[in-house]
Amino acid sequence: MSLKEKIISTYRSFEEAISSSSSINDIKDNAIKTFEEKGFPTLKDEDWKYTSLKSILKTDFCIVPSENKDIEIADIEKYFVDTDSFRAVVVDGYFSAELSTINTEKAIISSMKEAIEEKNELALKHISKIAPADNSMVALNTIGHADGIFISIPNNTILEKPIQLLHIATGISGETLVQTRNLIVVGKNCDAKIIERHQSLTENTILSNPVTEISVGENSYYYHYKIQNDVVSANLIDNTYVNQSRYSNAFVDTFSFGGNITRNNLSFFLNEENAVANLNGISLLNDSQHVDNFTFVDHRVANCDSHELYKGIYDESSKGVFTGKIFIHKDAQKTNGNQQNNNLILSENAQINTRPQLEIYADDVKANHGCTIGQLDKEALFFMRSRGIPKKEAKAMLMYAFASEALKNVKIEALTAQINKLIAAKLNVDIEFGE
Amino acid sequence: MAKKEEGKVIDELTSSEYKYGFVTEIESDTFAKGLSEDVIKAISAKKEEPEWLLEWRLNAYKAWKTMEEPNWAHVDYPTPDFQDISYYSAPKPKPELESLDEVDPELLDTFSRLGISLDEQKRLSGVAVAVDIVMDSVSVKTTFKDTLAKKGIIFMSISEAIKEHPELVRKHLGSVVPVKDNFYSALNSAVFTDGSFCYIPEGVLCPMELSTYFRINESGTGQFERTLVIADKGARVSYLEGCTAPQRDENQLHAAVVELIALEDAEIKYSTVQNWYPGSKEGKGGVFNFVTKRAVAEKNAKISWTQVETGSAVTWKYPSTVLKGDGAIGEFYSIAVTNNFQQADTGTKMIHLGNNTKSTIISKGISAGKSQNSYRGLVKIAPNAKNARNFSQCDSLLMGDTCGAHTFPYIEAKNSSSHIEHEATTSKISEDQLFYCNQRGIDTEKAVALIVNGFGKEVLNKLPMEFAVEAQKLLEISLEGSVG
Amino acid sequence: MLKIKDLKASIDGKEILKGLNLEVKPGEVHAVMGPNGAGKSTLSAVIAGKDTFEVTEGTIEFQGEIINELAPEDRAHKGIFMSFQHPVEIPGVTVTNFIKASVNAKRAAEGKEDLTPGEMLKLIKEKAAMLELDRKFLSRSLNQGFSGGEKKRNEIFQMAVLEPTLAILDETDSGLDIDALRIVANGVNNLKSPNRSAIVITHYQRLLDYIVPDFVHVLFEGRIVKTGGKELAMKLEEKGYDWIKEELKANN
Repeated sequence: MSLKEKIISTYRSFEEAISSSSSINDIKDNAIKTFEEKGFPTLKDEDWKYTSLKSILKTDFCIVPSENKDIEIADIEKYFVDTDSFRAVVVDGYFSAELSTINTEKAIISSMKEAIEEKNELALKHISKIAPADNSMVALNTIGHADGIFISIPNNTILEKPIQLLHIATGISGETLVQTRNLIVVGKNCDAKIIERHQSLTENTILSNPVTEISVGENSYYYHYKIQNDVVSANLIDNTYVNQSRYSNAFVDTFSFGGNITRNNLSFFLNEENAVANLNGISLLNDSQHVDNFTFVDHRVANCDSHELYKGIYDESSKGVFTGKIFIHKDAQKTNGNQQNNNLILSENAQINTRPQLEIYADDVKANHGCTIGQLDKEALFFMRSRGIPKKEAKAMLMYAFASEALKNVKIEALTAQINKLIAAKLNVDIEFGE
Repeated sequence: MAKKEEGKVIDELTSSEYKYGFVTEIESDTFAKGLSEDVIKAISAKKEEPEWLLEWRLNAYKAWKTMEEPNWAHVDYPTPDFQDISYYSAPKPKPELESLDEVDPELLDTFSRLGISLDEQKRLSGVAVAVDIVMDSVSVKTTFKDTLAKKGIIFMSISEAIKEHPELVRKHLGSVVPVKDNFYSALNSAVFTDGSFCYIPEGVLCPMELSTYFRINESGTGQFERTLVIADKGARVSYLEGCTAPQRDENQLHAAVVELIALEDAEIKYSTVQNWYPGSKEGKGGVFNFVTKRAVAEKNAKISWTQVETGSAVTWKYPSTVLKGDGAIGEFYSIAVTNNFQQADTGTKMIHLGNNTKSTIISKGISAGKSQNSYRGLVKIAPNAKNARNFSQCDSLLMGDTCGAHTFPYIEAKNSSSHIEHEATTSKISEDQLFYCNQRGIDTEKAVALIVNGFGKEVLNKLPMEFAVEAQKLLEISLEGSVG
Repeated sequence: MLKIKDLKASIDGKEILKGLNLEVKPGEVHAVMGPNGAGKSTLSAVIAGKDTFEVTEGTIEFQGEIINELAPEDRAHKGIFMSFQHPVEIPGVTVTNFIKASVNAKRAAEGKEDLTPGEMLKLIKEKAAMLELDRKFLSRSLNQGFSGGEKKRNEIFQMAVLEPTLAILDETDSGLDIDALRIVANGVNNLKSPNRSAIVITHYQRLLDYIVPDFVHVLFEGRIVKTGGKELAMKLEEKGYDWIKEELKANN
């Protein structure tokens, strides 16, 4: 039985066991149909042209993991950025109140499952409304998630401390498909910062397929930083969908250093005027790692801006993919959309496939994209070495200089420091970057 | 600029008439509609083709029947009914012409109205150009054949070439665009009726521009021509094709295949001025232009594609270059103008296989009316292609608020020494630019022309001198005085 | 030559010119000065016919004809030239081609034939030398990548070629170094004749050392509130505009 068949038959039998007919069940029912029809994406899907899941899908994943109550703070402390923050921890797809630090009057940070069971109004209003239901990976998550994180930030809230979201995979059930469903609802005039990380504690193959829906209210600033530094047995299909209201500024930064196959589906929907979407990313890969950043900015109304900057450095036999679609609807006049994707290939066997796309139906717009593929500047490298800097360090410094432009939206010092450390570790050098 | 004025300009731009829309009343020999093995056999028999070619056609037909029409392009049109097309139409009597006196006067008139002279004495813009003319399914006249023959250059219709140079045709036909390459190349391979053939021997620099002029005349027909250009080692040739069709309410299908082969150190410059009937202002009729064009460049060879695309209701076309040999160079310069309800999905593929290969892509899209104009291009660097270089620039200019401009580049680099740069911009003609021109006494329509001309300049400059003027005229027709 | 009467003009419903009067006679040079936001650039744009501004009242009379309703290119054909404060870029269109289009459009309006390429070349060369522009400059895309000084010199160059009856220089001197300023002023002065006039809009009296005005006007809150000779410009440079405001208050 294929993984797809296993998933469908398992959840069909679950569904039969539950007789209630809430709207959530309707959504799940449709999701099963969608997933049954579309299944896992293949290279034949234009959107997945450069990323094959074939090697992962051979694995006989456990699709309904048991709850692991044995994880302690000490086991996971090192995966948090060292800064005063709120914490929300999910273990194998189940929210863990014990491991989380969520006590604040300023916001609700809770289990997604509870929020739905308690009929939290905002949770019910937004869940499954932002992520596209016809996307097969979203459908899969809709069918299979048990829990996740729900965050609600009320109007006029300035969160001084960031919220760190840590998704742990323990492998207690063997090779596991981990699915969490997260919803973040930010009210008007807020300022909030989120740090998100997925971490496997096992050598068992993990496939995470989280869906995170984010609604950013009027005139709010929302920052979301994704640190992807997982172990080589971990695979991630991240699905993040952001709705923006007027005058809102949303930032999503994706820093990919670890993991085996990573696919980042990231979409921004600019629903009201004067919203600004910002997408930055760094992929720093070696070995046979594969990272696919699939971004979509949907300019639905006039006077919105989007700024996108992705940097990729590919060594050994790693593979990078970038798709950046900027879609400007007919009524989205005065849109300003810009996008840059710059890549360095460092080895014979590394690959990069990039598709910067502009789809424009309005006339009064300014849109541009640029894309480069190149190598480290040999002249600069020689110059540095002639001043006594060893080759490895000189290369690392040039790579950092190349990538660091994409760090400009990181507004948490401890996080910048952490990313700098991760880059140094990845490049195997003892340099304190960012000084 | 006030909305009112802008509206006026756009109106004028979109209301220009297609001036090649007339029909020539000429008796023709046209097959009944429909496609089957028998029809293919009949075409082959009509053309007195050798057995191998008939087999080749039938194989292509078999393959085509198993294939599906591509649907990934950013265009939307009703699937042609392939049984509702006549696959062979030729002006009568079958033209085997010794001198111009034998040409049907109607036909001469047609081409003089198209601005093409069949008289070798009357040279286009004062410059010698050899022309092969294809009307509906057959070639009606090739000029300057003898002059060229003295240099060993073969320039004739592909039907003649099949008879006179079967070994050359057989060796190269389908070698660049395999029969099963895509849906329309398979269809073309099965039913192609004529086209041009050109061979430049080793070391010969072709002394004049070669040109093929394609004309669809009959209704209910499709045009499926096949062009094969071979430049032997060190040879050089510049080739231009032009196309027009009458104004009809039905959609006519044009599915051509062009294959270019540039051997070591050879150079082929292939320019297209495509002006098939684009359909009416309301989007009725027009030509479906689904074309496969591909070139192979061997060691140090150079292929340069230049195209000015103003016609057709729907265009689906990606002149490509396989940079096979070390040091090969590929270039693609394109201006695509869409107006009214036209849709174009066009671009190029540069496939870098050899070391030190270099490609340049300059694409300029201009959208007006309710049209959709897409650039789709692929730059692919194979794992063994060291030091490959590519530079791409795709710019779009928007006129009016009901059109669309899209850019879909695909960049695949599988070699660490690749160097690729891609830039794209989309902009509109700004009110400030128009006012500035107005203040200098230039009216808005001329100002638009000036700006459009400036926008497309990098490409217009690449056209052969003699045709740059013609191309500018075409842009003018398509955008009513847009080029001055 | 130019008579502006009770001119009121607004943009997006906001009134900028609030009843402006100005008369320029043949051969005269008028300087218009005033603080930021007084309506200086609006005045030049309205005379040139930019239709983002709406003329709500008053008349602009040029050589005996009311031109309120004329299109900008028709005004240009009649001999009105405006040197832009921010000349626009037109990629791919060379300076030479642009001038050709401009000269021939004007000639067509006058019922004249296009200049022959030879005549055109001669004209362009002669005027380029006057503005100290080299040949390379002429084949560059219009204003694209030009320095501020080059853009302004290009404006005066076009003016020299078109030989307008009325030249309006909108802050042509802003951001120019002294050499460029000298060249620009020289270009303007060369055009001086008993039947040509100029309106020089500027912030700085420095330019007026080179282009000596017959009259200096102070534009304030959409009206010309004071007129004098060159000494008025000196006073404005020295004392600013506060004393004008005081004077106005006192008069009210």
